[in-house]
Amino acid sequence: MEILIYGIVNSFKLILIAFGFTLVYGTSRLPNFAHGAIFVFTGFVAWIMMHKLNLPFLPAALLSLACAALVGVVIYQFILKRIRGMNMNEIIATYAIGVALIETFRWLGFKGTTFTLPVVKEGVVFIADVPVDYQRLMVVAVGLVMLAAVWAFTKFTRTGRALRGIAQDERAAMMLGIDSDMTATLAMALGSALSGLAALMLFPLGSIVVEAGYNTLIFALAVCMVGGIGSWSGTVLAAFVLGFLQVVTVTYLATHFQMVVTLAAIIATLILKPSGFFGKHKELEERV
Amino acid sequence: MLAADGLMVFYENMLALNNISLRCHENQIVGVFGANSAGKSTLMYTLSGIILDQKIKEKMRGGEQITVMGEITFEGREISGLRPHLRARLGIVLCPERRRLFPESSVMENLKIGAYMATRQESRDTLDYVLEIFPPLEKLLRRPAGFLSGGEQQMAAIGRALMAQPKLLLLDEPLLGLSPAYQQVVMEAVKRIREAKKISIIVTEQYARPVIPIVDYAYIMENGSGVMSGSGQELLDNPDVKAAYFGV
Repeated sequence: MEILIYGIVNSFKLILIAFGFTLVYGTSRLPNFAHGAIFVFTGFVAWIMMHKLNLPFLPAALLSLACAALVGVVIYQFILKRIRGMNMNEIIATYAIGVALIETFRWLGFKGTTFTLPVVKEGVVFIADVPVDYQRLMVVAVGLVMLAAVWAFTKFTRTGRALRGIAQDERAAMMLGIDSDMTATLAMALGSALSGLAALMLFPLGSIVVEAGYNTLIFALAVCMVGGIGSWSGTVLAAFVLGFLQVVTVTYLATHFQMVVTLAAIIATLILKPSGFFGKHKELEERV
Repeated sequence: MLAADGLMVFYENMLALNNISLRCHENQIVGVFGANSAGKSTLMYTLSGIILDQKIKEKMRGGEQITVMGEITFEGREISGLRPHLRARLGIVLCPERRRLFPESSVMENLKIGAYMATRQESRDTLDYVLEIFPPLEKLLRRPAGFLSGGEQQMAAIGRALMAQPKLLLLDEPLLGLSPAYQQVVMEAVKRIREAKKISIIVTEQYARPVIPIVDYAYIMENGSGVMSGSGQELLDNPDVKAAYFGV
């Protein structure tokens, strides 16, 4: 029972972490390796706003999300736009930005375990005799809301549909008047804000540490690769598989094997089905 | 309405379009005929601006160098440097070769994505209109576009292009791989669209026979060059053309 409940919670953690990455890659073919750095960045920005500027939680959270989105926009407008289409360069550039961002925080003295974000609400409930704190329930709730919101956005809004279009066939979308730079900027902003949202939900469970930036990126990559990079349903499914796998590992082996299992999952995926669960073929098969 | 002059396109050293000039007037249907590799699709890409996107992407990858020359004016405005989505906003909408529908989206969603630039009202009206000229689509609205047959895909693709509210519709090989029955349906629809929507249409095809009855003017291309042009009847009467493009 414990495994079931914590497995679900852990899966939603992974969904929160990975969804932003998958969204950006799925819609704009941009591998945002600064994803983990934006995660940490949002955490520290929120911390600074709350402790140095004395803002209450909600405005600080919203502002830090806006900052995360802004970082995404800046990364696209000033760097990715120029090298778009060269995947290797995109990876190197975004990873470099990520490392620079993370290490800047370390250099500024943001290290150790003294930086924490508050939980939204203190307290514990018992679900089938398993204690679950409110924050972990919030993770699940926010995860669900986020999935629903993204789904509704792409289904029912003009801009969301433009993202769906450009994700499936960039050129065909262009011919219909959709600006690929606009959608890519938007995707980066959204993806970064989602990474920030994950940070705001997950950091209260521990403390803000710079190393989380690297771990988050690896987890996000693992989920995306197992699920089929860029596939949304694949990401959710993979998050559940890996989420439960991690919890089982932690329960029966030891906490530090969590990363081993995650990386093993990447390797297994690459050997067995390199495109992941729902890796997509973008070409529309010609039918005559 | 659209005037293209001296269009030249090189892929590296390969000349794909050689000094093509083309006119398309208000509410006209213009045909462009030619065999495979005659440059029809390149011409369409050049008119719609996709070639510029190709050029940028190839340059990024260090691939082929694409050179584009010539002038295109649309409604009195020089557009040859304009990127494709901006040309689409002016009203030049390309319905590309092989349809290129969004395969995972339903037909309905394809149409709605097509309506990106349209107002709510235009979008509703055009949707009704598309279903009116292509009644079979009605039943297929919820089906993913990847699961449609070739003819159904072509109807959906033309519908999607119409949703973008074109003033000049570019149809690149709309009959490719269609049965004669579907060819008939599509050509009939093209004619009706021109009459109802008062738009101009440029249509390319390898085989001119099914298209020639509806065109006002036609160009024939060979190896990237324009070899002949004239009204549909003039081309029909020309023995060389007849042998090459109509099948005797």
